Amino acid sequence: MTLSSARLGRSRLDLLDPLEASRLGGLELVTEGVVEGFLTGLHRSPRRGFSVEFAEHRMYQPGDELRYVDWKILGRNDRLYVKQFEEETNLRAMIVCDVSRSMAWTGSPGGVMPKLEYAKRLIAALSLILLRQRDATGLIAFDDAVRAVVPARARTTHWRQLLEILAPMPAGAGTAAEPALRRVMDLLRRRGLVVFVSDLLLDRELAMRALRFLRYRGHQVMVLHLMDPAEVTLGGPAEARFEDPETHRSVSLRPRDWAAAYAETVKGVVSAWHRACRRNGIHYHRVITTMPFGQALRLAFAGPSGRS
Amino acid sequence: MISFLHPWALAGLIAAGLPLVLHLVTRREPPVVVFPAVRYLVETTREHQRRLRLQHWLLLLIRTLLIAALVLAASGPSAPLRQAGGHAPAALALVLDNSLSSGAIVAGAPQLEALKGAARAVLDRATAEDGLWLLAADGVVHHGDRAQLRQVIDDLNPSTRRMDLGTALGIAADALTGDRRPGAVALISDLQATAVSASDLRLPLVVLRPSEPPPPNVGISGLDAGPQPWPLEGGRVTVSVQGDADHPVPVAVRAGAMPRRQALATPGGVTTFALSGGAPGWMSVEAQLDPDELRADDSRIGAVRIAAPAAVAWREDDRFVATAFDVLASSGRVRRGREVTFGSLGPGSSVVLPPADAAEVGAVNRALERRGVPWRFGTLRIEQQVTDSGTLIGREAVLRRYTLVPAGSGRTGIAATVGGEPWVVRSAGIVLVGSRLDPAWTHLPLSAGFVPFLGALVNRLARGEVAIVPGTPGDPVLLPDWVTEVRKEQRSWRAEGGAAFDPPDTGLFFLLAGRDTAGVLAVNPDPRESALTRATDRAVTDLWRGARTADLREAGAVAFAGSARADLRGPLLWTALLLGLAEVALASGVGRAAA
Repeated sequence: MTLSSARLGRSRLDLLDPLEASRLGGLELVTEGVVEGFLTGLHRSPRRGFSVEFAEHRMYQPGDELRYVDWKILGRNDRLYVKQFEEETNLRAMIVCDVSRSMAWTGSPGGVMPKLEYAKRLIAALSLILLRQRDATGLIAFDDAVRAVVPARARTTHWRQLLEILAPMPAGAGTAAEPALRRVMDLLRRRGLVVFVSDLLLDRELAMRALRFLRYRGHQVMVLHLMDPAEVTLGGPAEARFEDPETHRSVSLRPRDWAAAYAETVKGVVSAWHRACRRNGIHYHRVITTMPFGQALRLAFAGPSGRS
Repeated sequence: MISFLHPWALAGLIAAGLPLVLHLVTRREPPVVVFPAVRYLVETTREHQRRLRLQHWLLLLIRTLLIAALVLAASGPSAPLRQAGGHAPAALALVLDNSLSSGAIVAGAPQLEALKGAARAVLDRATAEDGLWLLAADGVVHHGDRAQLRQVIDDLNPSTRRMDLGTALGIAADALTGDRRPGAVALISDLQATAVSASDLRLPLVVLRPSEPPPPNVGISGLDAGPQPWPLEGGRVTVSVQGDADHPVPVAVRAGAMPRRQALATPGGVTTFALSGGAPGWMSVEAQLDPDELRADDSRIGAVRIAAPAAVAWREDDRFVATAFDVLASSGRVRRGREVTFGSLGPGSSVVLPPADAAEVGAVNRALERRGVPWRFGTLRIEQQVTDSGTLIGREAVLRRYTLVPAGSGRTGIAATVGGEPWVVRSAGIVLVGSRLDPAWTHLPLSAGFVPFLGALVNRLARGEVAIVPGTPGDPVLLPDWVTEVRKEQRSWRAEGGAAFDPPDTGLFFLLAGRDTAGVLAVNPDPRESALTRATDRAVTDLWRGARTADLREAGAVAFAGSARADLRGPLLWTALLLGLAEVALASGVGRAAA
């Protein structure tokens, strides 16, 4: 057992600060630690998380959906239990990862993990959990075009193949999600799960059109909206020219003057995504890149009504 | 014009540029920050950007104006008020023109009375906090309170002096120098066009003048008795008349006790009167016009000296000189005698020419020295030059001459020069001529001016210069250097040679050289005072920039208009307060707009 694995064993990596957790080892090791911690917290196989047939009860954990609380047991025993369900069939999941240049950005280099690094670890964890449930899991990476495609497989060795593609994936150029999402339709012949991981700095109408089509084809669709904390709260020098790394469009302003208005805009953008997704039966979660991986996974596995 | 109590504080206006400087300094290209969510920023700023930019510029303007208003308020500014209902303490110099022309009768009363009334009205508006100065034609500046200056005004009469208004304004402005109160000048005058002159006055000026046109006037502008002295037979007097009449006016001339002579004179022209002589000595001559609205210029006085022709001893062997004296003798301008020796140094008055033999020059110089004459014959110059034109002689060629060298330190008594060097000099009845009066020495004997030149030498120079000096009251006259005393009737004034004398009034002032009366100072009004034509308001404002003209009746209302000043500190502080409130409101508005 290595030093890292020893440390991993002692701590719940899923609850650590993502940057801290990532410093404890490589992508594979940390992801396994995160997943282990996450599953330990669940006490039971997450396989039950996506099922529709009732399986058993388990103790309530903070973060669990209140609607799965068994109120009858609460009434009889004064204890909180949540109901868990068995899955009927194996799932085919495709994870669509945005690797555009904006994803490589962090507002605090050395302090906050870049969105792309966060996404890689989150996707690794997600895919590991899915594969452990024997769900076929695939990956599509895109920037302004589709950069990598890993078809969905359920083999136990598939996770490492995914990581070999995912880990060295560099940040690309612009962002065009529609071709990647249309590619998903070719890869998922029957109903499955599509997890779209992106900072959503793209054309919302085009992206939503593709996501709506996926829903029309009967897939479950989940959008994980990654945001750097500096994208939520505007900061910087007294006056600065802010330049988009993808389009090179720029705006000069005093962040102090505009911070409040910017926060309102971000709030509006998030609300707009959320409303649009909800209207189309798409699960939308905003994930801040300082959020522990376990919390992000919990959001992802919270089910159809999961909220950010 | 705005004036400032603490003008040095205006240096703080530099601070008003600080907001702009800060703006420009901070306007430098801001650092570039890579930020993927620029689309959110674009969306955020799209609506507010133009309004915010406008508000920022407005803020910059307000902050600049705020600082400027505070600095201006600190410098204590005040501005003139057009109406002087009440006025801040002021320093007012009142220039009251009681020159000779103010004695003109207008509507049955001297013009001066209306001017004095206006001056009193100005004083009535003055307060105890005002500083008051009064300047009249005598040039004396009076400073005092209202009562004191009112007394001075009451005592004023039409002066015989002329008042140059441009000069008077300068004197008035000088009087106000050093007074910290806002200064102004009020000029009360009949505003003769001939009295209006340029001035560099930098104070507010109110010009108060009558509205009625001036009365027509004719005056005597000149009286010339010709070359002096007159022979016993008499001489001619020329009288100049000027004025508004377009027809001849009667002029009478009286010389001493002789009967007055009368003739018609056309304004703008001259009339000559031939007067008979009398006993040797001084005789007054007076020309008079019929009385009109301005009496003071209706007469003019002068003087003539009557003397017998000089008794001259001349040498017959000097052909040109002898011929000229024969002509003079035949016309009664000289007679033979020993009063004046011509050609060499005689026992009395002499006209000394250089000796024909150069060897005798030394002897002549020694004789001159013994007689106490401060001039000597110097070296012989043989070069053709020309006499410098003067009253004694015109321009004549001089071929040979001895330089005339002063023996002492002074160079007085030079009557004619050649090339700027003395050629004819005079001292105590001894006249030295640098050239012999022969065509080999000078072309003068061949010219028409030779005979009058000899007559002047023996009748005027050798016998003593007769000076009739014209003058006007108040204008200092430079007296001839031989004058030791000036006397008029019972009054007398000691005089140094070459001193200036300020005649106090009109009349004849006799110039004494020791015990001899050697000249007359004939003091008459300045002829420019006879022209009563008034300067137009346009001419006044063109010449005195910023001057305000008004009728005498408005004197009380407008005199302090130039000096009545409003304190601008209050309005400026209120402005600063309002600007400050606007700044706060706008600045917070900018913040809200950005939010």
